[in-house]
Amino acid sequence: MSDWSIFRDDLIEQMPLILGGLGKTLELTAIISLTGFLLGIVVFYLSLSPSRFVRSIIRGYISFFIGMPLIVLLFLIYYGMPQWGISLSPFTVAVLGFTFNVAAYNAAYLTTAHNGLDPVEAEAARAQGFNRLQIFKLITLPQVLRLSIPALTNQVICNLKDSSVAFLIQYTEFFARMQEVAATNFQFFKAYFFSALVYLALVSLIVLASRALERRYILPT
Amino acid sequence: MPLISVHNLVKEFSGQRVLNGINLEVYEGDLKVVMGPSGCGKSTLLRCLNRLIEPTSGTIHFRGQDITGADVDIRALRQSIGFVFQQFALYRHLSVLDNVTLALLKLRGMSKAEAEEKALHELNRLGIATHRDKYPSQISGGQKQRVALARALAMDPVVIFFDEPTSALDPVMSREVADLINQMRAENVTMLCVTHDLRLARQISDRVVFLDEGVVKAEDTIDHLCNAHSDSKINDFFSSGVRGQ
Ligand SMILES: Nc1ncnc2c1ncn2[C@@H]1O[C@H](COP(=O)(O)OP(=O)(O)OP(=O)(O)O)[C@@H](O)[C@H]1O
Ligand SMILES: [Mg+2]
Repeated sequence: MSDWSIFRDDLIEQMPLILGGLGKTLELTAIISLTGFLLGIVVFYLSLSPSRFVRSIIRGYISFFIGMPLIVLLFLIYYGMPQWGISLSPFTVAVLGFTFNVAAYNAAYLTTAHNGLDPVEAEAARAQGFNRLQIFKLITLPQVLRLSIPALTNQVICNLKDSSVAFLIQYTEFFARMQEVAATNFQFFKAYFFSALVYLALVSLIVLASRALERRYILPT
Repeated sequence: MPLISVHNLVKEFSGQRVLNGINLEVYEGDLKVVMGPSGCGKSTLLRCLNRLIEPTSGTIHFRGQDITGADVDIRALRQSIGFVFQQFALYRHLSVLDNVTLALLKLRGMSKAEAEEKALHELNRLGIATHRDKYPSQISGGQKQRVALARALAMDPVVIFFDEPTSALDPVMSREVADLINQMRAENVTMLCVTHDLRLARQISDRVVFLDEGVVKAEDTIDHLCNAHSDSKINDFFSSGVRGQ
């Protein structure tokens, strides 16, 4: 019992740092979810390009970033680039690395959904006189996004979980702070159990938000 | 002067000649029905006329202007041609009303109020305004075809193309579509309808253009074509249709 109270006291003592870390975790997750979403849409749009050249570049982009382990990418930018005279802050590196990675995944989800659409609707829009960008914005994207809500919100969950690897490039987010707590009192189980509970709670919130989104945007059948 | 005049139209898909020199004229107020067996190039012909497909050679004059050139405003051309698809092609994420207003808002730049008024006018004209808030998945095939037609009519097109408007419908709904086409004809809408449905052709017209092997084989009354024609292809096509009735 006394173990728990010691742990609790340490937790309370370090609470400002922990909350700061949690804030940085949420900040990184929110930013990469947004930038990865937006870049994913751009990549998806380009993957529909009439130019074979653009399409093959985009295919290369998607395979490269899906195939590359995120940690390698982050280390490459954070520890590798300074050798070329480019030093970036941990936050910038994390946002860059995650954005490229997450965008590749999101573009792949959107492409999968697009393969399930009936191309005749886009053709009808073309026949009405809409241009390519209008068809994308008004017809293709709204349909594809609706179909992709589960995959896209699942990606947000992955972003939250994966954000913990950013501590390896000196980004002191929530998990980095919890490791510090564990190191001060050697209560490893409690510290990491507490971390697990926090991540689970956050994931549950995302799941609830995802369900609400789906209910709001689902098409009647 | 014909509204549409097609001269020697050729379309090849990777060497395969689908249209092999089509000549066709559509006059204002016409209801032109083009028939032909499956795969003879009916859809390809319609898609060439509004440049959804690039013709290989030949000329297409639309209101006197050759529209096969590179400097043609294709999107303006398409806006003046209403296109009704076989599979209806309604935008599934939009309500019936929004399907009709979309182009009015985004292409004509109308205000929301103007666009809705215009759309409701067309939906009323086709007797489907009560379904304005439903989604395409919530209405029947015949109703979808009405919405598709309303969507086309809302843009005040010069001509309406129908690509097999009944082939996804049962006979009762096909009859509905035939009635709609006749209603449009009475209102002097110019129409070009391709179909292999002889029943539909009879209900809307007494003359048809027969397309086969990439060329116009005949243009005649359905009665003539059905009565032991000398051309065996024509004979096969129209007599099987007669038996099917
Ligand atoms: N994009 C394309 N690429 C290659 N071949 C095509 C393409 N579109 C059509 N074709 C071919 O052209 C021919 C005519 O097709 P089209 O769709 O115009 O026929 P159709 O008369 O409309 O037939 P249906 O009655 O089945 O609708 C077919 O043999 C088809 O395989
Ligand atoms: Mg066809």
